[in-house]
Amino acid sequence: MRLPLFAFGTAVFLLWGVYAHNAHAYLDPGTGSYLLQILAAFIVGGLFAVKMFWRRIIAFLKSRFSKSQQ
Amino acid sequence: MNMAENGKVSGSFRDPCGFLFFKDGLLYRQINAVYRSHYDMLQTTGLYDGLVREGMLIPHKECDDVFFNGPEGYKIIQPEKIAFISYPYEWSFSQLKDAALLTLALQKRSLNAGMTLKDCSAYNVQFHRGRPIFIDTLSFEAYEEGRPWIAYRQFCQHFLGPLLLMARVDLRLGQLLRIYIDGIPLDMVSKLLPRSTWLRFSHVLHIHLHAKSQKHFADKTLTAAVKQRRVGKLSVLGLIDSLETAVKKLKPKGQSTEWERYYGETNYSETAFSHKIHTVERFLEVINPRQVWDLGANDGTFSRLASSRGIHTVAFDVDPVCVENNYLQAKQKQEKNILPLLLDVVNPSPGMGWENNERESFFNRAHADAILALALVHHLAISNNVPFEKIAHFFSTLCARLIVEFVPKDDSQVQRLLATRSDIFPHYTRQSFEAVFSRFFTIRETAQIEDSKRILYLMENNKRPL
Repeated sequence: MRLPLFAFGTAVFLLWGVYAHNAHAYLDPGTGSYLLQILAAFIVGGLFAVKMFWRRIIAFLKSRFSKSQQ
Repeated sequence: MNMAENGKVSGSFRDPCGFLFFKDGLLYRQINAVYRSHYDMLQTTGLYDGLVREGMLIPHKECDDVFFNGPEGYKIIQPEKIAFISYPYEWSFSQLKDAALLTLALQKRSLNAGMTLKDCSAYNVQFHRGRPIFIDTLSFEAYEEGRPWIAYRQFCQHFLGPLLLMARVDLRLGQLLRIYIDGIPLDMVSKLLPRSTWLRFSHVLHIHLHAKSQKHFADKTLTAAVKQRRVGKLSVLGLIDSLETAVKKLKPKGQSTEWERYYGETNYSETAFSHKIHTVERFLEVINPRQVWDLGANDGTFSRLASSRGIHTVAFDVDPVCVENNYLQAKQKQEKNILPLLLDVVNPSPGMGWENNERESFFNRAHADAILALALVHHLAISNNVPFEKIAHFFSTLCARLIVEFVPKDDSQVQRLLATRSDIFPHYTRQSFEAVFSRFFTIRETAQIEDSKRILYLMENNKRPL
């Protein structure tokens, strides 16, 4: 449990900084939410890629298995 | 619906891309010039056609002959009419869950077409012919590769947070959506959730860390350097996938309520129950209403007498478990004419939002052609101490016709309500009921239920509801 919090805290430290900016978006994404997405991008993107890859492996194996049964 | 003087819908003002307005009693949406390129893309990519074909987005007609005003207008469209507008705080767990999954499915489809949803408000979804449907045609915008999903915060506050609370803490916590019109604050969700939610990655990321991140950066703004950080499409898809998996796994917290076993514990004999069904059916045939509200619908047994005849029926009940069971049944049987909703008759949904006008109160939303008030009046009169006059007046503001059941004092169900209290209801009699209701309604038919002391009435409003 401590590792994610530590990693998060490090990221927060690295991203520290304050400048004014103009919001162009209709909806305020929320600074915290925006940053969380950036931080989590690598993890969620990676997990998704693995999931899609794994699904293709399973689909491939299923088609091979059903072919060999015929 | 509430209308400002110029015809604009009172609650439609936040989006510079367009607004809703009334003309000659019909609802239209003006699309402003600033949204033109996105709307055109929605059409040319085929995203609109695909979503409408699958019943995910409300269809609309483009109207060349309707003109609103202002140089900022690009097009006028007329969306298909929704039979009854409802709000997320009136939905059961599964209704909110299905609305969440619809929103995520729409976001995935949009990304495939090079577009994205710019907001994820639960108010963008309505229930139409038994299924959730997205109604905000102006929510789609061109996707910029590398940009994070702007609507992520709103999705977590409007959908994931409330669903998690309803799944892990208490089914009634969806009601917090009434207080927080932009979704439940994530720090509150985080505090209320049990510690075991820290063991699941999606809950930690989308709720707990999300809440901490919001709090930490609450008074800070993004630097230019941060804003240039890219979030690839794969990461956005991964985020959506993570949210979708998290939502799909949620189940409503099992809790038994006093109402869910109601029909197993009523005092009707088979004869009485059967006669009540036949009588209500006969009354419905006599009045042939266009739509029906069933107040205190429970699992929708009597609501379905109307909906199975093709009459659009809204089945209201105070118990979230009953509304949930009713919705799941409607979904499983693909029923198109019944809409189960949460409503406490003694404390109905008020007007909410800016000037209490953005979300309509229960009374302002529509009027019912007919109301079914079966096994309801004694709960109002006895359990809630509401006099007959106020009950009759309440119905008279809402419906043209009324099918109402009177349960006399010597019925065992009323005796149960009086078991632990003094009987302070000398006027709770059939004669008084009929006399008071006759001041607002004309009693067209009366039917004593066989093998029971209860009486069913068919009444007609003396005035049209305003």
